Amino acid sequence: MQKVGIVGYYQVKLYSDANYGRYEMIFEASRGALDKAGLKKKDISTVISCTNDYYDGRTISNCFTVEVGGGYMADESKVEMDGAHAVLYGLMRVLSGNHNLAAIWGGSMASCYPYHTVRLYETDPTWERSLAYVNDVTSAGFQMRAYMEKYGVTAEEIAKVAVKNKKNAAKNPLALKEAQLPNITVKDVLDSGIYADPVTELMVAPPCDCVAALLLAPEKQALKITDKPVWITGVGYNQDPYYLGDRDLSGCKSMNLAGKMAYNAAGINDPSSEIDVAELFEANAHEELIFAEELGFAKKGKGIEINSAINGDLPINPSGGALGGNPPCATGLIRIIEAVKQLTGEAGDYQVKGAKRAVASGQVGMCAQNNIIYVLEAN
Amino acid sequence: MSKMTQRKSLDYIKKDYVRTRTLTGSWYLASYKFKFNITHMKPFLEKLKEKKLIGNQCSSCNRVFYPPRQVCGKCLVKPDKWVDIRNTARVSTFAISYLKDPETGEVQERPMVLVHHDGADTTSIAELNPEIDVKDVYVGMPIIAHWRDETVGGLMDIEYYDKFIDDSDDIRYKK
Repeated sequence: MQKVGIVGYYQVKLYSDANYGRYEMIFEASRGALDKAGLKKKDISTVISCTNDYYDGRTISNCFTVEVGGGYMADESKVEMDGAHAVLYGLMRVLSGNHNLAAIWGGSMASCYPYHTVRLYETDPTWERSLAYVNDVTSAGFQMRAYMEKYGVTAEEIAKVAVKNKKNAAKNPLALKEAQLPNITVKDVLDSGIYADPVTELMVAPPCDCVAALLLAPEKQALKITDKPVWITGVGYNQDPYYLGDRDLSGCKSMNLAGKMAYNAAGINDPSSEIDVAELFEANAHEELIFAEELGFAKKGKGIEINSAINGDLPINPSGGALGGNPPCATGLIRIIEAVKQLTGEAGDYQVKGAKRAVASGQVGMCAQNNIIYVLEAN
Repeated sequence: MSKMTQRKSLDYIKKDYVRTRTLTGSWYLASYKFKFNITHMKPFLEKLKEKKLIGNQCSSCNRVFYPPRQVCGKCLVKPDKWVDIRNTARVSTFAISYLKDPETGEVQERPMVLVHHDGADTTSIAELNPEIDVKDVYVGMPIIAHWRDETVGGLMDIEYYDKFIDDSDDIRYKK
């Protein structure tokens, strides 16, 4: 794959109820990314936005964000999935050879609508919606129980993932304040309110408000813009069938195939030793274990045995991951930004020492139906 | 890096200075007609009226779908065979959701299950008999479809799933 560089990024701090208007937040992110790269508006040749009509409360929601998102007199397109999918779209436009700078922004404000209620409308209206109340949390309950049942993993072990990520989030100044819990214990996680048994409140990524932005440039331009671009050396994407009943919920086949595709592009043979840090979008605590196993960091059912602390063998989500705040449409983009920070040494308190190669993932859908993964390498 | 967007400090936000105004509104498409094909499931719906279950089978990969699917995603062909499916099933996986009545504040414990019917390769979402204690539910639990008295030819003809004792398990254990 031809090299494409990440030359700038910006992330607004996560808030559970932001004192921001929507447009101001988008402006801060897109302007901030340009400022970081030292570029001007006229350098942008294509804009990819990532929002969702239902999350924004209006139809064709990107037509209202032309000015603030940098799309004025530029070509613009919207991805109604995760921010990481918007990066794929931007990447493809850059690889087409027609564009020198792609600006990608994504995010929404979950404080403006009932997030988990909206997710009820994701089920099939003809067969499933009338039968039972199933949304992202209930389906996460299905998946967590199937995973625990198949591999004999206990709820305590899954709660450990939440503990690790919430503690990591406490070191990340941009994480959600409510999710920054430096003194949390496994008992706190298990005793927090039950959302859908066995999933408890602290195991679910808390929806919040944020917009993040990222700039992509082809190799030649990237080196002109910055001394230390981060290269996208591999990308993989795949999706599972829509119906929950068609899938083996104890695993995530699509993440496995996406990982193979990305590793193939980046020339990785042994992921657990060749990757220094992973930023995975886990909408629920157990998903981090499932993803880590599917990506080849551990054997099936042994995800909990990875030493995934910040100073561990393979740090996973040193920034706190999605459990440190999950702004719909931005979370995957933030995972990529956090991986970039690790590779450029800008991560501060949660910096992984000597990180040279990272993976970052995004997902969309119930039980991570559609997955995308990037391999990023430092210059 | 320019200072154009730099805030003076984060305290700027923490103070009582209100930067936004909230406008309460609603955004919904008041009604929607979901139009879907029934050609591929007519035999299935007719059998439901007789309190019998069938699934369709892809003749390319031999997977049996319950409820019937229009297209087999794996092979991208229409499943063209019909197969009998027993009304007994097993709990494939489940989650217990807590639904709060907005008026009385009463919280209902309801187990949502993925049901794996005997003879089918896929599972479907369903609810259990509300009288079953949620603590007794387990993965692999044998269950049986409980039909409504009057069937209309839809999946809602199965009101819920009841517990039942699976004899086949006894035979296996005796061996």
